[in-house]
Amino acid sequence: MTPGHSSDQANDQTKLLQGTLDMMILKSLALDQMHGLGISRRIEQLTKGTFQVKPGSLFPALHRMEEEGWLVSSWGESENNRRAKYYRLTKAGRRQLNSETQRWGRISLAIARALEAS
Amino acid sequence: MPTLSRMKNLFRNVFAKHRADRDLDDEVRGYADMLAEEKVRAGMNPEEARRSARLELGGVEQVKENVREVRAGAWLDSLFQDLRYGARMLRKNPGFTAVAVLTLALGIGANTAIFTLTYAVILKSLPVPNPQRLVRYTFRSGTQDLGLSGPLYDALLKHEQATQDLLAWSSSTFTVQEDNAPTEVNGALMSGNGFRVLELQPSLGRTFGEADDQTAGGPNGYQALLCYAYWREHFHASPSVLGQSLNINGKAVTIAGVLPRGFEGLVVGQRTEIVLPLAFEEILYPAHPRHLPGSFWLTVVGRLKPGQSLRTAQANLLATQNSVRDEGDPSHEMLSGYFAAFQIGVESARSGRSFLRITYARPLIVLEILVGLVLLLCCANSALLILARVSSRLREFAVRSALGAPRRRLFRQVMIEIALLAFCGLVAGIVLGWAGAKSLVAMLAAIGQPPPLDAAPQAAVLAFTAGTGVLAALAAGAWPAIRACRVAPILGLKEGSTGTTSKALGGWIVPLQVAVSVVLVAAASLLGTSFFHLLLEDSGFRSENAILAEVEFDANKATDAVATRDAQEIVDTLANSSGVDSAAVMSTPPLHGWFTVSHYYSLDHNGGIHTDMQTWAETVSADYFPAIGTPVLTGRGFNHGDLSNARVCVLSASAASYFFPSQQAVGRFVYSGGTDSTLDGKATPSPQDTCQVIGVAADARFESLRESAQRAIYLVIPQKELRSDFFVVVRSRNTRLATAAIREAVHKVVPGATEPTAFTFNELLAAHLRQERMLMALSACFAGVALLLTALGLYGLLSRSVVVRTKEIGLRLALGAQPRDALALVLWQGLRLVVIGSVFGLIAASGAVKLLRSLLLGSQPDKPLLLITAVAALFIVALAASSIPAWRATKVDPMVALRHE
Repeated sequence: MTPGHSSDQANDQTKLLQGTLDMMILKSLALDQMHGLGISRRIEQLTKGTFQVKPGSLFPALHRMEEEGWLVSSWGESENNRRAKYYRLTKAGRRQLNSETQRWGRISLAIARALEAS
Repeated sequence: MPTLSRMKNLFRNVFAKHRADRDLDDEVRGYADMLAEEKVRAGMNPEEARRSARLELGGVEQVKENVREVRAGAWLDSLFQDLRYGARMLRKNPGFTAVAVLTLALGIGANTAIFTLTYAVILKSLPVPNPQRLVRYTFRSGTQDLGLSGPLYDALLKHEQATQDLLAWSSSTFTVQEDNAPTEVNGALMSGNGFRVLELQPSLGRTFGEADDQTAGGPNGYQALLCYAYWREHFHASPSVLGQSLNINGKAVTIAGVLPRGFEGLVVGQRTEIVLPLAFEEILYPAHPRHLPGSFWLTVVGRLKPGQSLRTAQANLLATQNSVRDEGDPSHEMLSGYFAAFQIGVESARSGRSFLRITYARPLIVLEILVGLVLLLCCANSALLILARVSSRLREFAVRSALGAPRRRLFRQVMIEIALLAFCGLVAGIVLGWAGAKSLVAMLAAIGQPPPLDAAPQAAVLAFTAGTGVLAALAAGAWPAIRACRVAPILGLKEGSTGTTSKALGGWIVPLQVAVSVVLVAAASLLGTSFFHLLLEDSGFRSENAILAEVEFDANKATDAVATRDAQEIVDTLANSSGVDSAAVMSTPPLHGWFTVSHYYSLDHNGGIHTDMQTWAETVSADYFPAIGTPVLTGRGFNHGDLSNARVCVLSASAASYFFPSQQAVGRFVYSGGTDSTLDGKATPSPQDTCQVIGVAADARFESLRESAQRAIYLVIPQKELRSDFFVVVRSRNTRLATAAIREAVHKVVPGATEPTAFTFNELLAAHLRQERMLMALSACFAGVALLLTALGLYGLLSRSVVVRTKEIGLRLALGAQPRDALALVLWQGLRLVVIGSVFGLIAASGAVKLLRSLLLGSQPDKPLLLITAVAALFIVALAASSIPAWRATKVDPMVALRHE
């Protein structure tokens, strides 16, 4: 893998992330509350390693979403007895996840059709 | 709900900032620890795991900064931070701050002052509803703007179709009896329909209508309206003035109401204080009935009907003009002279009628251009100053950038400091501008008159000033701010690097300043020379030791015959007074903006008839020529023997050559009034209309120094009678004595007369040239400021450049260069900039001089000397400004410079 190729791939990742990071975070919190590192790992797992969320973008996103009222946070104990901040979906967050999922479905369908047509 | 949560967060982020920050810190560090633990579990040794985790995190502080930026109220928080920091930086550098603020204040203040004037004189609308629908009927010839006569007004009322109604307004001076002392008040008469046309509502009481505008003011007597300022100053804004009685020109009138604040009449520059119905003219001008066709005393304004426009009104006027003229001069004789030169027209009356506008519109355009250039210079200088500040702080910016400050944050930091400077400059500028505007308005005042305009700050002016301030800040700050945020972070880590080049110091700004300065200096010297040119112009009068005074009798009591007899008596009394060399009276004062034309004709030797409808007829007493100092060229002046004999006259040189081309005028006859048809019909003109030329006097500029002399005919009292106001002219070496003598003589002859206002001819000259003098004074100020700013700019640039190049200069000196080489190095650096600037400046200045000529002065021969003077002034100033840094360069110690490395 040439360095140039690697940086191209990194660019692909960020571009994807900008549009979808919020949705991925909401999705990763759909089942249970989670702390920052957990969310990051969960997204990796959900996307089979395509998305690697760096803390530099994860934390601003979390705080922004909390201010939007989609998430609430509370301090708790981690698996290894560490103090960690846990994030949980609110009702508004769940609604947002639904509408984002639907929107994304529509967009990806439309794009897929467009690409097939040509 | 989201709004509520956002509010809560905003509150927390702004007011519980410390806790929020601690939480964030814990959270991010916790993340890093957990990441490290994960890596340990995967088999890394703890030390390496921590390092790797930190690396992956990309810096705890940067992550925290990123989070802070998305928080609600983050911008507010960091704005406060930047503001505090900016204020601290400015306080730490009081010298820089003071110079920068003063520079901006100067530019903004000058613009505010000039704009206040421009606004008041040209732009301000009348404070009535829909002023743009008002039109005014005019009687104009070039810049001469007469009002309409009574018959012309009546004719317009009859024929005019474009407006709903036409009002007539006439400014005048009322004598109000206040506490048993007569006081002069700026008054006005207005026709009864006036308030309906203007749609003006009173702020107290009522206005007057047609019912009040009749003989004796109707059954309840005359109703007076007070203007707001007069009501406040003289009646302490008391509502009980309604129904009170005032004694105006000996007649009791009743105060019916107070006009709204801001309304000062329809004529800009005449701040009306009391308004009376037009019918009051029977009290004011009993001797001169309203329907005299030759008395142009009315300002006529109408409101356009719906669907009509100025254009349709003009078309309408064109169609009816002939009937209006016919009815305006039923005899077809009196006004033929006027109608030859003057046109009836209609124009917008949105901003009222303004004599100031006619005189000052073009000078103000010129001043706006000049003052705009001054602002440009001030901005350039501020930009240089700020750039220097930024350059000396490049390391700070580099460090901040290396520590993770985003570029836009650095940009904003610099812009905030500039905004702080600009704000201080703006406040100081408004204060300066206000004071400036006040003294400018005072310069516009006529002799012995209060300022003609309200120079108080207006919303529009303040908006303009604020706009100027923002523009100045942007112009001065944008480039330095861009420089600051483009700085490479690595620069902060390099010891001793300043990364400063001449270009980075704003080397291109100095040539810009030089170019603008050349333009300003050239403009100032052009305006200055044209002022002195006018001042030295031969007016035809001898200005030194000449004192004039206006004498006004009560027109009620003084018929023309009485006034003439009294005038003769005053002159005789004065002639015997001590300190008076000679004394005379004249009907119309010189250089006073008055205008009078008469109709004369002559029959020359060859039988040619020469008719002049625009002869300036001046009625004088016998000693007029020695008193005013106009030399008699051929023949003789008047003497006391002329008083009773056949009618005689003196012609001005241009009148003599007009009426008697290349012939001897003395001894021949000119005829007044009538038409030349009497000659064709062999009828003899009546003896009253005939006078013999006894002498030819030099041309005198009665109307203005800016125009060539009128053709003038001088007639002598009592052969020709004076009206109840005339001027006394006295030649005396003692102004004080002469003034006292005039007062005494007037009081002795006419005990009840108003105190005559005396002034010297030089005062008259100064007032006549106040427009040019104001232009000259202001442009000289601007040029001085321009030179100072350019010198400051060049000095600052070279000083910094010497500091930056200390090492280089030291090295050169160490390698054998002489101090004078160092001197030349710096001087040449400065000189190069001045040369570049001068080239552009010369091109711009020659354009500017042409523009000034076309706007103000009319065509004159080119004066390349002006431009050369301007450039020479620049070079002298530049040399002076460069010499100090250059001298400093010679004092560089090679050892110190080298050790610095």
